[in-house]
Parts: sequence; C-alpha cells; structure tokens
Amino acid sequence: MDTVKNAKGGVDFLGYFMRFRSLSVFFVFLLLCIAFTVRSPEYRFISRDNIEVFLALGAEFNIVALAVGMLMICGEFDLSVGSILVFCSFVFLGLFDAGVGVFLAVFLTLGVGTLIGLLHGLITVKTGIPSFITTLGGMLFWRGLTLFWSQGFQRPLDTSQYPLFNESLTGSIAGLIPIQSVWFLGIALVLGFLIHSHKFGNWVFATGDNKQAAKAMGINTDVIKMSCFAIVGLICSFVAIMQIVRVGVFSSRAGDGWELKAIAASVVGGTALTGGTGSIAGVFWGALIISVIENGLVVLRIPYYWTFVIFGVVIISSVIISYLTEQRRLTMGAERDQGASELNSNNRSP
Amino acid sequence: MNGVKSESQISEKPFDQGNPDYLVQMLDIHKWFGKVYALRGVDFQVRENEILGLVGDNGAGKSTLIKILSGFHPADRGEIHFEGRRVSIHNPKDAKRLGIETVYQEQALAPHVSISRNIFMGREPTRALGFLDKKRMDAESLDTLSKIGLRLSDPEAVVEALSGGQRQGVAIARVLYFKAKLVILDEPTIALSVKESRQVMEFIKQLKAGGISVVFITHNIYHVHQIAERFVILAHGEKIGDIRKEDTSVDHLSEIITSERVS
Amino acid sequence: MIRGIRESVHLVGLNRLSTTLPHVGKVVQRIREILLRLLSYKVTFTLIVFIILVLIFGSFTPRHVFMKSNNLGALAKLVPDLGIIAMGVGTLMICGEFDLSVGSIIPMSSFVFVKLLEWDVPLIFIPFATLFTGALLGFLNGLLVVRTRIPSFIATLGTMMFWRGILYASSRMMPIGTRAYLEPGTWLENTLIGSMGGVFPVQILWFLFLAFVLGLVVHFHRFGNWVFATGDNETAARAMGINTGMVKIVCFVIVGLLCSFMSMMQALRIESFAATQGIGFELKAIASSVVGGTSLMGGIGSILGIFLGTLTIQILENGLILMGAPVFGINVFIGLGIVLFAVLNLYIERVAIR
Repeated sequence: MDTVKNAKGGVDFLGYFMRFRSLSVFFVFLLLCIAFTVRSPEYRFISRDNIEVFLALGAEFNIVALAVGMLMICGEFDLSVGSILVFCSFVFLGLFDAGVGVFLAVFLTLGVGTLIGLLHGLITVKTGIPSFITTLGGMLFWRGLTLFWSQGFQRPLDTSQYPLFNESLTGSIAGLIPIQSVWFLGIALVLGFLIHSHKFGNWVFATGDNKQAAKAMGINTDVIKMSCFAIVGLICSFVAIMQIVRVGVFSSRAGDGWELKAIAASVVGGTALTGGTGSIAGVFWGALIISVIENGLVVLRIPYYWTFVIFGVVIISSVIISYLTEQRRLTMGAERDQGASELNSNNRSP
Repeated sequence: MNGVKSESQISEKPFDQGNPDYLVQMLDIHKWFGKVYALRGVDFQVRENEILGLVGDNGAGKSTLIKILSGFHPADRGEIHFEGRRVSIHNPKDAKRLGIETVYQEQALAPHVSISRNIFMGREPTRALGFLDKKRMDAESLDTLSKIGLRLSDPEAVVEALSGGQRQGVAIARVLYFKAKLVILDEPTIALSVKESRQVMEFIKQLKAGGISVVFITHNIYHVHQIAERFVILAHGEKIGDIRKEDTSVDHLSEIITSERVS
Repeated sequence: MIRGIRESVHLVGLNRLSTTLPHVGKVVQRIREILLRLLSYKVTFTLIVFIILVLIFGSFTPRHVFMKSNNLGALAKLVPDLGIIAMGVGTLMICGEFDLSVGSIIPMSSFVFVKLLEWDVPLIFIPFATLFTGALLGFLNGLLVVRTRIPSFIATLGTMMFWRGILYASSRMMPIGTRAYLEPGTWLENTLIGSMGGVFPVQILWFLFLAFVLGLVVHFHRFGNWVFATGDNETAARAMGINTGMVKIVCFVIVGLLCSFMSMMQALRIESFAATQGIGFELKAIASSVVGGTSLMGGIGSILGIFLGTLTIQILENGLILMGAPVFGINVFIGLGIVLFAVLNLYIERVAIR
C-alpha cells in the first residue's frame, strides 16, 4: 500500500478517504457513536435498551437501504420504497385477516412486492422515462391506494398463534441480539457476495457505469435493471412484514420519508449518483450512520425537524465530496504523467 | 494584420513563428486526460482552400486534436497559428470568431428544435430587446441551404424529421452562413447510407468551391479518399504520415494505418 | 393512434363523399389535414382531457357543485397559485433540469415575508426582499447543480430537506397570522390579491401576465432558444457557444422568483404563514408540466401547454375532492397522470415524426 502523496508532497487525506471509502465511513460511524454516547444524559445512548431498539428498528431501514444502494449502482433510483412498504404491509394484514395461512400470506406479499418492483422497472426501461419520475409516480400511487383502502385507520395485527414465525422475525438471539440485525447482516452478506463476487454483480456495475458499453458486450441491461427494481420491491415487502409483526399494528404512515434516507445512506456509503461505483459495505455503514443519527437525535431529545437539516446537509455534502473526488481523480493522474513524460523527454537523445 | 488589435483572447506576434502559406498551424500539441496521454507532440497544418483528410484508427487522437482547434479543450502544451498570427483559443466562441467552425458527428443539432433555430443556435439575429427576428432566420436558412444544394421547403420543420444526409446538410449550411474559413467535419458520413454520404460529399465540394478549407476526419478511408487532396495520419497520439493524394492510394493508406509504419 | 383516426374518418364515408362532390372533397381534405396536424400536438391531448374532466365533474358532482360560482371562485384563486409555480418548473424542465425544492422555497419566502411584516419594515421594501429570497434560493440550487454536475433531482432533494429543516427550526413549526401586522386595504394586498370590480380576482391577471411574459421569452426571445437548445442537446448548444451553465442557473432563479411571488399571494390570501405551506407543490407542478406536453428529457415543451396542464391538474384535484374522494386518493391520480402522460408524450413524439 503506497502512501498517497498529493502534488505538494504532503499526505493526502482526501486521497486516503477515496481509496478506502468503506473504512472511512466506518470510522465516521464510530465517531458518531462516541459523540452521541458522550453527549447523552447518563450515557443513555449505549444503554442496553437503546442498543436493542437501535439494532431492531434501525435494521428495518438498513435492509431497505441495501437494496436501494444496489439499484443505484446499476444507475437507477427508486423513490417509492416507503410506499411499496406501506402497501405490502397492508396487503399482508389483509391476507392474514382473511384467514389465509401465515406462510401463504408471506409468500403472496413477497410476490406482490416483487411484482411492483418489476412493474417500475418495466416502465422505466421500456418507455425510457427517467426512473425517478416513474418511482415518483409509484410513490404517490401505492401510498395513495393504501390510504384509500385503509381509510387512514390503523388496524391491529395479531400473530401470537405463530410463535415460531414471530421469533424468526422479531425475537432475539441469546436474549441479547435482536434478530432483525442478524437479518440485516445476512442480507448484506448475500447482496455483497452477489455484487462483488458473482457474474451478476459485474453486470450490475457495467450497466451502471456505461450502459452502451455493457449492451455492446452482450449484457442485457434491461433485465439487469428490472432485476434490481424487483429486488428492491422484494426487500421492501420483506421488511414490511417484519415491521408489522414487530409493531403489531398497521399504520398508514409506515415508511414515510425512507426513500430520501435510503439515497442518503447510499451516497454517504460511496455510491456514485451516476451509477457504476459503490459497494455493499459502504451502503452497510452508510445506512448505520443514517440510523444512528436518527436514534441519537431522539436520545439527545433534539426536536425531530433537525433531521431534515441534517439529512439535507448529508446529501449535499456527499454530492460535493463526490464531485471533488472526481476532480481529484482526473487531475492526480495528469500530474503523475506529466512528471513521467518530462523525465522521458530529458532522457531522450536529440 | 498590423496594429489593429482584435478581441481580448487573440494575441498578435510578429511573423517569426507563423508561416503565412498555411491557414492553420498547430505546433507541438500535447494533451492529457487524467492518466491518458492523448496527443504527444503533434504538428498539424492546413493550407488555404484545401480539403485535408485526417485519418487514423480509433483512439488515435483525431477528435482530441480537432476539439483543441475548435476551442472545446485547451492544449496542455503547444501553439496555434491562424493566418500567420499566433492565437489562443479558450472556448468555441474564440474559434468561431477566427472563422473556425466544426460540424460534429451526432452532436451538432438539437433534434426537437426547428431547422432555422438550429442554424442560428447561439448566434440568433434579434430585433429589439433580444427578441428573435424569425423572418430573417427563416429566409436566410432557406437561402443558405439552397447554396449547398439542399432544397428544403419548411424552415420550421423539426430536424429530427430529416434524413441523416439532410441533417448533415443543415449542419454544414450553418457553418457556411457564418462565413467559416476553416470547416472541420468530424466523421460526417458515419451512420449514413451510400446515397446520403454522396450527398454530403457534394456539400463539401461546394464548400471548397467557395474558397473554404475543409478538414475531413474519419476512419473510413474510402470516403475521404474520394475528395481529400492531402492526408494526415495519426496513431496513438502521434503523427505518422503526411501525404499528398498523388503519392498514395486507399490501400497504401490503410496499410500505413494498420501497420503504423511511416513510409 | 393517428392512423386509427385516419381510418375512422375513412369509415365515416367522408372519402366517398369527397369523390362524388370534388368541391366538398377539397374542404373535407383540408379539415382532415387540420385535424391530423392538431393531433400531432401534445397540447391537443391536454385540451381534450381538460374538456372531458370539466364535463365529467360538471355532470357528476353532487348537485353540479363543480360549476357553481363558489367553486369557480375558489378555483380562480387556486389555479394561479399552481400555475405560477408550474410555469417556472416547466421552463426548467425544458432546459433539462428538475427542481424538487419548490415545496421548501415557498414557505421559506413566506416566512421571510411575514417576519418582515412583523418587524414593521416599510411596506415598499417587503415584496422586493421576499423576491430576493426566492431568487437567492433558486440561485443556490442552480449553482449546486451546474458546478457539481450531479442530477438536479438529487441536488434539489437535498436542498429541499435542508431548507425545510431550517424553516422548521427557525419557526418552531408555529404558524404566524398576518392580520396582526397588516391592516386590510393596503396597496400590497390589493395589488396581489384584490379583485377587480369586487368580483374578478387579480391573481388570475397576475397569472396571465406572468404566463404571457414567460411565453414571450421562451418562444420568441433569443434566451428561449438557448433554453430549448440546452435541454435538447447540451453538447451541441455548448459547441455553438451557448453558456449552458448560465442558462440553467437563470432558469433556477426564475423558479425561485416565481415561488416567492406566489408565496406572497398565498400568505396574504390565507392570512398566515404555515411551515407546511407548499408541500406537494413540486409534484403537482411537474404533473402540470408533463400533462401539458413537456418532455422529461428536456428540449420540448410550451408555456401554453403548461398553462392547460395546470388547469387540468387543478380541476382534477378540485373535482375529486368535490366528489368525496379522500384527500390522499388524489395523489393516486396525480401519480398515474404523470406516468401516463409521460408515456403518451413519448408516443406522440415518435409517431408525429413520420
């Protein structure tokens, strides 16, 4: 690992940051945890209760962020994740109340989520409409539909007759670690493997980086994109089930605002907004940062509206950092080469 | 040529480095893109009223060289002389002011905008307060188009509705209207049918008949060989050949390009 | 679709008629040409949808409430609000960018406006200060987008959140009434929200005036050509020497200005500042533009289209409410509307080329 020296010969911190984005994001996460711990009254931040809450609730959002991050790597955006979530939780509730067995209900709900994602993907690739518009429409449509059918009321869900089912989604290991975070870790590992070690992942990166080139190499970019959208839908529906079992009640406000937080998590974790760059590890830590910020604000009793400011700052500064790192990348190489070619021309005999 | 200073970007220097026989001289041009060394000390000259073919395989640096001349990129090192004077070209407007116009591959025209608005893009004739002089735009578009032999009836028609050859015609008419002295055509016949390519070559002949110099960039030797008088060959950012048409043939040229030997 | 209509005209037998009576035939031919030409304009479809909606709501709202003067009066005040914003957003879309932060620029400007009233600043300065706020926020958006080349919807998503947070924090989410600081009958109120002859709301005049001015600029001015060129093919525009960065920034500033202007009108009309003002406007504005034929890819659109699109979206919302649809249900249609019209626009663009 050679030292990254900038043009002036000093150690280049931004360069380090660029190279080891996931590691840097992890350090930021650690820093935030320490800061929150220190500032919270009686160190409530690292109290057992709070950690459990953070690992359980936070994991729900984090899982969704992973899927959104993968979609961003392939070059598209999804603003409808919150709406898919609330729609699927309503579907699950409806199926369950209608007496459909729990496993069938799960299966069907997952299917619905996947189909919705597939629909978004289909519209986006076949019509050429920018994905953020399609999913903007989706965001309005699915939540609107849910509100329409639920009339805005909350409805309870009682799955106590299926203890094993409950445990697998909301229990804890050794009474300590909430199982949701295990799911988070597991899904992160699966997606990480898929993206970084599998052929499919290579295609995802290629499609996001340069769609024309990928197509020319025979990659079916349409199918890749639709798959990523479908995965987003699938994961949203899974988390919807997990969430509604934990809370025990259907709320029409579920998932509100998650789309922006998910994008922020990916951007913080090093995913380029133009696609083609990123890592699951980065999104993993990015999501944790977003969750920890929310959790920390609650513990510190800071009014909720500050989250808007913070997320806005997070998105904007990540945008600016992305731009700066791109600039760095282009000019760093030029300096190195100019130095090299000067050396060469000095050595050349007249 | 003496004492009358033109606008800010153009500096005047005595003749010692410029050769008035040439319209354009690019001397020792170097260019990097990040780590990629795109042009490695290229010398490039174009005479008055000459059709010159700039050829070479993909990645040779042809487009980069020409983008420097038309002001899209600055050169990292080297000089440019125009009509015997040293000039500096920082942006497309500088190049146009000198009379250097470029017609790019697929990027010259706005597809959903009308023909006349396309021709006058960026240099719209206006009446009071900046409002467009549509009558003049329409009339002069049709007039210029007919000058190169392209007869179109509706200047309000959207460019997308035209054929590939007609679109190139519009782009070429544009540079003609703005009194270009040097017209650079970057892959003008790519994606065109045989008939359309022939149409474009007729337009180019009209340009030469009007006293204009043309640089025809392509990797299609067959097309350029039909009308160019001289060929400059680039490979990997260096000039490896500068031959007059009398001294070469299509086969000869392609041999040079593929084997990269200077003959 | 155009071919289908051609065929149905055929079926009606007009062709037969035209061959037996050549004179009539020429007239019929002309009508056919005009019809087909009209259908190639997206604005026609907007108009058709608008008329259909008016008919539906006129007939099916309980007791035809839709057509009653109360409702029309309310519409006359709501349409300009949306329309003024939509024109800015639509123009920005023509030059190829999006602004999702209008929902935050509006309350921010409103906040500045009301605060200035509270601090007893001389009335003459207040509108200019408010407009300046909007312009500044728009300028910041534009700068961010142009300098970092990040997709504008992400950048403006970020600024939207940021300003909303700042606003919530500064105002502590408390609404502020304007009546306490502004007696009725001031010139400010009369200019912005008064009524002509006690009946005709001035807002409509403002809307028409701004639409007219913006329409002139976009369609008949040199700058308008630059806007279209930048949105249609930015590389070509730059190659022709157009400063596309400047064009975009100006469009963002226009959006900001229109937002702050509208926020003053709105604040005076509802006689208060509320931190939740403006939420959702970005979507309705985009919907109005898309329904009015503006392309999501940039380079295509018209002020007339956006005008009609605004009318359509606003009466859609209005009619649905009157028919008893729950407030959230409306979003379903707006979402559908955006996607459907986006697809329709693309289809017409491709077909009309033939």
